[in-house]
This record gives sequence, C-alpha cells and structure tokens, in this order.
Amino acid sequence: MEDGGMGQRELQREVIDTHLCTGCGACVGLCPYQTSYHDRIILLHPCDIKVGRCYMFCPRTPTNLETMRKSLCEEKDLTPEIGAVKGFYLTRATDEQIRKDAQHGGSVTTLMTLALREGIIDTAIIAEGKENFLHRGVAVNDPAEVKKRGKSKFIVSPTVAEFNRAAKGEAKKIGVVATPCQVLALAKMRLKPVPVDEGNIDKLKLVIGLFCGWALSWRGFMELLRKKTGLDAVVGMDIPPRRHTLEVYTKDGTIEFSMEEVNSCIREACHYCFDTTAEFADISVGSARLPGRWEETRIWNQVIVRTQRGDDLVQLARAGGLLEFREAPGEALDELKKSAMEKKRTALKSIAARSGSSPDLLYLDRFDPVVRMLQG
Amino acid sequence: MMSKLIAQKEGVEYLLMGNEAISRGALEAGVSVACGYPGTPSSEIIESLCRVAKEGNLYVEWSANEKVSMEVAAAASFAGMRSLCTMKQNGVHVASDFLLHLAASGIRGGMILVFCEDPGALSSVNEVESRYFAPMIEIPLLEPANFQEAKDMTRWAFELSEEIKNIVMVRSVTRLSHGSGNVIFGKLPNTKRQAEFRCDGPILDPDTGLVFSAPVVYKHQLQQEKIKRAEEIFERSPFNTYEGPEKPGVLLITSSICYLYCREAISLLGVEDRVGVLKFGATWPLPPSFLKRHLSLTDKILMVEEVRPFLEERVKILAAGMAPEMGIKTFYGKETGHFPSVGELNPDLVVSALGKIMGINSYVGMPADYEKKAQALASTKTPQRDLTFCPGCPHRASFWLIHNALQMDGRRGFVCGDIGCYSMAILSPAGGFGVMKTLHSMGSGTGIAGGFGKFGQFGMEQPVLTVCGDSTFYHAVIPALINAVHHRANMILIVLDNGGTAMTGFQSHPGLTVNAMGEEAPAVDIARICEAIGVKVEIRDPFDLEETRETINRLLEDEEGVRVLILRQICGLSPEKKAAKRYEVRIDEALCLGENCGCNRLCTRIFRCPGINWDRQKKKARIDEVICAGCGVCSSICPAGAIKREEAA
Ligand SMILES: Cc1cc2nc3c(=O)[nH]c(=O)nc-3n(C[C@H](O)[C@H](O)[C@H](O)COP(=O)(O)OP(=O)(O)OC[C@H]3O[C@@H](n4cnc5c(N)ncnc54)[C@H](O)[C@@H]3O)c2cc1C
Ligand code: SF4
Ligand code: SF4
Repeated sequence: MEDGGMGQRELQREVIDTHLCTGCGACVGLCPYQTSYHDRIILLHPCDIKVGRCYMFCPRTPTNLETMRKSLCEEKDLTPEIGAVKGFYLTRATDEQIRKDAQHGGSVTTLMTLALREGIIDTAIIAEGKENFLHRGVAVNDPAEVKKRGKSKFIVSPTVAEFNRAAKGEAKKIGVVATPCQVLALAKMRLKPVPVDEGNIDKLKLVIGLFCGWALSWRGFMELLRKKTGLDAVVGMDIPPRRHTLEVYTKDGTIEFSMEEVNSCIREACHYCFDTTAEFADISVGSARLPGRWEETRIWNQVIVRTQRGDDLVQLARAGGLLEFREAPGEALDELKKSAMEKKRTALKSIAARSGSSPDLLYLDRFDPVVRMLQG
Repeated sequence: MMSKLIAQKEGVEYLLMGNEAISRGALEAGVSVACGYPGTPSSEIIESLCRVAKEGNLYVEWSANEKVSMEVAAAASFAGMRSLCTMKQNGVHVASDFLLHLAASGIRGGMILVFCEDPGALSSVNEVESRYFAPMIEIPLLEPANFQEAKDMTRWAFELSEEIKNIVMVRSVTRLSHGSGNVIFGKLPNTKRQAEFRCDGPILDPDTGLVFSAPVVYKHQLQQEKIKRAEEIFERSPFNTYEGPEKPGVLLITSSICYLYCREAISLLGVEDRVGVLKFGATWPLPPSFLKRHLSLTDKILMVEEVRPFLEERVKILAAGMAPEMGIKTFYGKETGHFPSVGELNPDLVVSALGKIMGINSYVGMPADYEKKAQALASTKTPQRDLTFCPGCPHRASFWLIHNALQMDGRRGFVCGDIGCYSMAILSPAGGFGVMKTLHSMGSGTGIAGGFGKFGQFGMEQPVLTVCGDSTFYHAVIPALINAVHHRANMILIVLDNGGTAMTGFQSHPGLTVNAMGEEAPAVDIARICEAIGVKVEIRDPFDLEETRETINRLLEDEEGVRVLILRQICGLSPEKKAAKRYEVRIDEALCLGENCGCNRLCTRIFRCPGINWDRQKKKARIDEVICAGCGVCSSICPAGAIKREEAA
C-alpha cells in the first residue's frame, strides 16, 4: 500500500498481479472499471480513486478476521477451526427431484427455495452453469428457478458481482449462495468500510455458504478436459472424500482425474485460502463425510448453522418436513475441524512462500488469534 | 451557380486556392481526363474538377489507389487526350512501379502528375520528398512558387509533356495548395480531342506503335534524349528567374513556396541591394548555362528549400563541373547547418541564415519564447482538448470496444494500424483506446498482421488484429488479405466502415453508390469480396456496444485463420447526416456520480468525447450541445444511467 492508497491500483498490485484473486466478483459491478471475463477479473481502464470499494470489499486485501468474528457472530459459538457453530446436522432434501438435480443432498436448494417461498428473501443469487463452464451468478425470484440451478460449479462464478448488480435494483431482501471467499467478501461489505451505497448491503438477508477445498481455473481445466473428453459430454463433477481424485461425470460414465492432474488446474488463489467452511455465512453446507460407500453418503449434506437467522430457516425446513435429518456420528465434526485446520495451515505456508517472508501474510494478519494458534 | 473555374473571360483576376489554380491550369490546357486518390494536401484538385466535369466535358474519377489513377490517366494519354493525375507525396511511391515503366514507354497526349507534398507533415505520417523521383525515373519536374504560377505552370506542363512525349511532374506543397491568392485567367480551349488509340503502325513508332518499355536500352536512350531536350527548353524557361542587383553579395537559390520566404527575408533585413534571388520553377533537369550565368555573379550562395537538399545537391554537382572556368564558390544550406533537413521553413529561418552569412543580427523576429507564451495564453481561454476522435465518431466506439475486448481477452493482443482518422488510436489518452501499436502505409496493417499471424510456431501467443478504413480496403488491403488467407495467418481484420473517405473530406470510393462526378455507380461490397476470398465475415454496428464487444471476444477465441469483422456506422461528420442529431443528450445531474467511487468521471476522463465537459464547480458532467453530435453512445457507457438520450425530433 503506497501513500495509503486503497483503490484499483493497489487491488491490481496486491491481488490481481500476485494471483491472489479468487474471482469472487466483489469488485465487479460497482463501477465501470472492473469486469469479469471467463473466470478472470479484468481491469478495463485505470481508476485513480484513493479508497475504492473494489479494494475494500475484496476478500484478498488485508482483513481483520477477529473484528469480523466479533461483530458478525456470537462469541459463545466461535471455534477456531470452523468459525461459529450454533448447530451441526446431517440433512438432505425430502423432495426426491431436488435431490436428483442437486450436488449432494439438495439441502442448499431446499433452504433457498424455502427462503424465497416464505418471503425471507425476494431474490436469490445462485450460480448458473453456462456453456463451456463459463459460470455466472444470476438473480432469481421464483423458487422453481432455484431448483433448475442445483449442482456445484467447480470453476468460480463471479457471484458477488451479481449481488452488486441486484442490490442496485428493485430487490429488497437478497439471499446468496456463495463459496467461502465470496462469503468473506460479503462479510467485509457488511462492515461498511466505505460510505457509499451502504443501503445495498443491508438488503443482504441470508447467506448460505458452500464448503470449499479449492476451485479450478478455467483455462487449465478446459485444456485438461479437452485431452480426455469433449466439453459437451460433461454433466457434472465432484470431489469424493479421501480418494484424492476429481470425478467428472459424462454421458458415457465417470472419468477420474488424479490429484496430480487436477493440481495444475487449481486456481492459484485457492492455495492461499484460509477458509473451508464459509465461516461468515448464516448456514454452511458441504458433503457428508460418512464412513461407508461414497455413493450412499454423497446424497447427504453436513450443515453448520452459525447465526440466529440461519437457525430459524433450518428449523422451518425441519418443521415443514422439507429436510430430512440424520444423526451425525460423533467424529464427523472433529474430522471436519481437522481438515479445515489442515487447509489453514497449508494456506499460511503458501502465503509465506508467495510473500517471501513468514511474517508477511499478505491479506492475513499475523496477530490474528487463529493464525497465531497455527503458527504455534 | 457556375464555378469560376470555367469562367470564359480572359485576363480577369480571380481569388483561387492553390489547388484550384492547378485545376484551372489543367482546364486551360484542355485536359479531358483527371484521376487521383484523395490525400491531403492534394484532394481539392480532383474535387474542384468534379464540380465542373459536366460543363467542361471531363472524365474525373477518384480511383481505388494512386497507381490505378495514374494508369487510367495514362490510358487517356495513349488515346491522344490530355490527362492529369493527382496524389499526395507518398502516393507517388504507391504509383512508382507504373510511373517507372510509363516514363520508359513514353506517352502521347500531354500527361502530368501533380503531387502535393507536406513538409512538416501537417497532415501526414511522413514528410517524404518525392522530387527525387524526377532524377531517378528521368522525367522533368516543375515547382510553382505562387498561385499564378500554379495555374500557368500546370498549363505549360502539358505542352512540355507533348513536346518531349513524356510525363511531367508538377510539385505543390501544403502552403501553396491550401493557401489562396489572385490568379489572372487565360483562355479556355473550346474543343476537346477525340479519343483514339492507334496501335497498328510500326512497332517503335511513338504515335502509332506499341506502348511499352522495350527494347529497353533503345527506349532508355530515347528517354534520356527527351530529358536533354527538356534541359534545353528550361534554359529559356520564363519560370526560372533572377531578381536582384547585378553583383549580389549573396545569391539565394530557391524554388517553390520558399521563394516567398526569400523575398520576405530580404525585405525584412532591408538588403534588396545586396542579395539576389535565383528562383527555379523548372527544377529538374537544371539548365546548366542558365545556372552558370547566375552562379558567376557572386561567390556566396545560400540554398533555400524545404526538407531534403534536392536543389542543393544538383547545383553543387553542376558547380563542381564548372569550377575550372567559374572558380570555386561557397555554398550554404543544409549541409552547412544553415537550414534543417526536416520540417517546414519560414521567413524567420531564412532571415537568420542570411543574417549569419552577412553578419547582420539587427532583425529580431518572433522572440524565442513567443510560441510558449502564445500557447499559455490560448490555454487559459480555451478548454483543454486532446487530439482525439470527433464527437459522434464511430471510431471512438470501435476502439473502445476493441480495447475492452483485448483487455478481457487478456493475452496482450494488439492492433496493427493503418492510415486514416483511426490512426489516432496510436496516440490514445490515458489508456482509453490505445490499442494500435504499429502504423505505416495504407494497407500495411493487414500485411503486417498477416506476418504476426504466422508466428505461432515461434511461440507467439498474442492475438493479432488489424484495422482499415473502407477506402483503404480497396486501396491496398485486398492483396494483403489474400496473402493472409492463403497462408492461414491467425488474425482479425476489422474494417471500420464509415461510409466514405472521411479523413480527406468524403471523396467517393468503390464501395459507394455514387462516383466522383455524382453519377450512380455500382457499389463493390466489402463483405462479398471477403467471402469470395474465403473469409467468414461478420457485420456489426459499433454503437451496439455490448453485442459488438462480445463478437470481438468470440472472434479472438476462434483461433483459426483470418477473421473479418466489418464495423459499420456512418462518420459523424458525413454530409449524408446533414449534421442531424439522432439523439438529444443530456445529463441528469442528480444521478451523475462524478468523481465518486462507482464512476470517477468515466465519460470525461476515459471516454473523452469532446461533446462532454466536466463542470469543475458542480462536479458533474455536462453535455456541450453545440459540439455533441447526438450519437448517444455515452449514454450506454455511463454506469449511473445519468446520461439520458431521447430520439431527436
Ligand atoms: C468450488 C466448490 C468446491 C467445493 N468443495 C467442497 C469440499 O471440498 N468439501 C465439501 O464438503 N463440499 C464442497 N463443495 C460443496 C458441495 O459441492 C455442495 O455444493 C454442497 O455440499 C451443497 O450440496 P447440495 O446438494 O445441497 O447443493 P445443491 O442443492 O446442488 O445447490 C448448490 C447451490 O450452489 C450454487 N453454486 C454452485 N456452484 C457455485 C459456485 N461455484 N459459487 C457459488 N454458488 C455455487 C448453485 O447455484 C446451487 O444453488 C464445493 C462446492 C464448490 C462450488
Ligand atoms: S478476489 Fe474478488 S474482489 Fe478481490 S480482486 Fe478477485 S474478484 Fe475482485
Ligand atoms: S451523444 Fe455522447 S458520445 Fe455522442 S456526441 Fe454527444 S456527448 Fe458525444
């Protein structure tokens, strides 16, 4: 940061040029200077504003996580590994169609649909799979439209850009499904670091976070896919637990990519990511990591409820019989915490390697209690 | 109203622009065919002849390029008529292959090439000297020095041409072509020659044989005899003159517009009785006896001419041969550093060179800081404007889109440029449009892109684009495009089709439905030519910002061979638009974000249409209704929707 600048120039120098950019889209849609193309953020023209929202909202500019935990969560719920935990469940949609069209148990689709139907939100922002894996965020109002857009997109979608766009418009109560980096951006926005358009972020009424180990970079992954299969053939993909592979489902069956192959396509920014479970969401959802056959367990979700409004929604789904609950085995939470800590540890190492000095943690604060705990 | 150019009255004085004086000279010579390719400062010659084509029974055309224009004019000469072709300085280089062969074959009816040069490159990307073609190709060269001479020498050039049966070059410069002065008219002939091509006589007969340059040595010798003949004629030419005392202390030797600078310098210094001026109108071949007579008058000679030392070199060569009889002279000029070899001259420069030689430094011209002060004064009164696209210019939108598409593509693609208004994209302000990275002659952007497009095998990953105007497409892009297609170059050609030769003033070109004389003409369709060459063509409107940008990005991703995109939108200044505004444009100040995060003056800082100003007091954008062309593009780029447009009544 030179002469205290916190604008586009610094964003470019500290985030884009250093490949820390997650492609979340938080810096897009606020102004005409940034846009997204494929999975990249493009700086179209230079902007010389000293303190800009792009820089302030970006999840990869310096962030005081401790302030955020204290202002957005209840302190009693906080855990160092996975943030606030009000409740931890295994759930799946009772609606079989939702389950069929979903990535795992369809819990996210169920909760989002319910929030729309109940008027908790009037606009849901979710990721839409597009041709050639060029995903993007879309704002929908009709629960049926949410159901059409299930399944995980493993190449980032600039979802927060769509929030920025929608918040400027008619929408009054917005819910967002987001990866941890996107959730972090939304959380930064909630702290209102810049006195512009503060009303927009107040429209954010619900954040459902997705667990996330990493995402893929578009160009690298396209090249890998082209080598093995046509792009049109792909109907979905997943990362089965403990197997260290990426499964790509095609019309003619499943193709497995080894972790070595996949590693080269992982978005570089993901190596510096400190969050697996979307710690600042209202509800976070991932796949169930149960003992037993993956084919059976994958139709269940692990759900962390973090806030009161998250809890209200989950309880509403339970009462309405929309979600089916299952006893979570005792070690499930521990295993989740362990793997979340593992990601944090790796991130710190990668960040220090990138910055070239271990005290310089780029966007993270070396005095953050969780960071200190990890560094011993 | 009848044009004064065809006024019948002899001896009457008219105020004419230099280029019109040249046209009148051609009319007085009974010219039948006039062709040219537009190029500043030459264009008004053909334009003014177009206007009198009907009354004057002329055939006038804007040809597809300079070479073709010279070929059409040559055909007229072969058919026994008098013909004229015009171009700007570098046009001669385009035509030179034909010119070389034509000079060797000889001509029949009088034929002249008028080329208008641009010392100082006031409206060119070069200040090349095409005078050197005269000695190189061995044809005579005339250089009028004032408006009367522009007419008289043009008329006489036809006679000379017929006398020696070869083409004659007439050179003008910007200050003569575009200045105006009084010209006394001569007689207009009232008959036109009948066109007939005689080709059934003895092969080598100049009037009835074959027209070609072989047998080469024989024809070359013939050509050199013609030049000898011209030299003899020039010995007595009234266009070569001496003015001054019998024994001047210093002799100025000059030609063209510099003659006026010499006269003014002499009068400013008050040295009329000590300095003589030898002015050459017939500058190549220089008549040696005439020269010797005047060199003998003095020992000190100052050569005054613009750009290259063309006369200086020739005079020195001749003087070296004369030295045993005439004695050794001292020459001052470019080689002694008395004048620069670049840019225009002016009376002050002549004053200072002459003063140095004569040891006079009493005259003070403009103070050294005059220009700076004048500029400072001007900038306080006038709003700051960069050299940029006009309001409503489709190129602004086109380059905006190309720039954005290249940024999004992210592989450091670039544009090979070409000559036209769009060349401005190489000068771009603050990153708004600066995508053009090479700029040479007409059509060369496509040729260069075709080269870049083959370098994938050497690891080149940058996408390669080129742009050309519609007129340029016909002029010189087609062969380069064919070359690129045949060799499977990976490149995108973007044709910026603004419906005319806008830069030089909307001359017609083969893509239009009306020709230079205002007659209906079949338009040659660019898209169909490309398709015939085997290229897929898309046509978009650059004012449809989002769609067109997406198209460019898609084309960038199709990495196969040559792709052509035609961006079609009429020039904001096109006479067809009759200055009508499509939209009324205004700013909703309540919505304008100004310098705040969310805009930071996109319209006035980056888009920079001259139609939008920044109101420093209010901190809001403001439309300058007088300048705004009403294209409405800015309303599509404003992120706040503050620029409102309504269909104009
Ligand atoms: C890049 C990525 C990596 C992941 N890694 C892990 C992991 O390591 N471990 C784990 O347990 N879970 C991971 N998940 C989460 C998991 O894949 C499921 O999304 C989650 O279990 C919810 O399942 P579901 O059946 O309830 O989802 P669904 O009911 O199918 O709903 C998924 C919702 O998420 C939205 N969405 C999809 N992709 C994105 C995206 N890229 N950005 C924003 N929104 C999106 C969809 O629009 C849809 O609304 C990852 C998800 C993503 C996108
Ligand atoms: S991480 Fe998000 S906010 Fe930061 S630069 Fe990338 S897209 Fe923009
Ligand atoms: S409408 Fe906008 S872009 Fe067009 S001329 Fe007017 S101010 Fe310029």
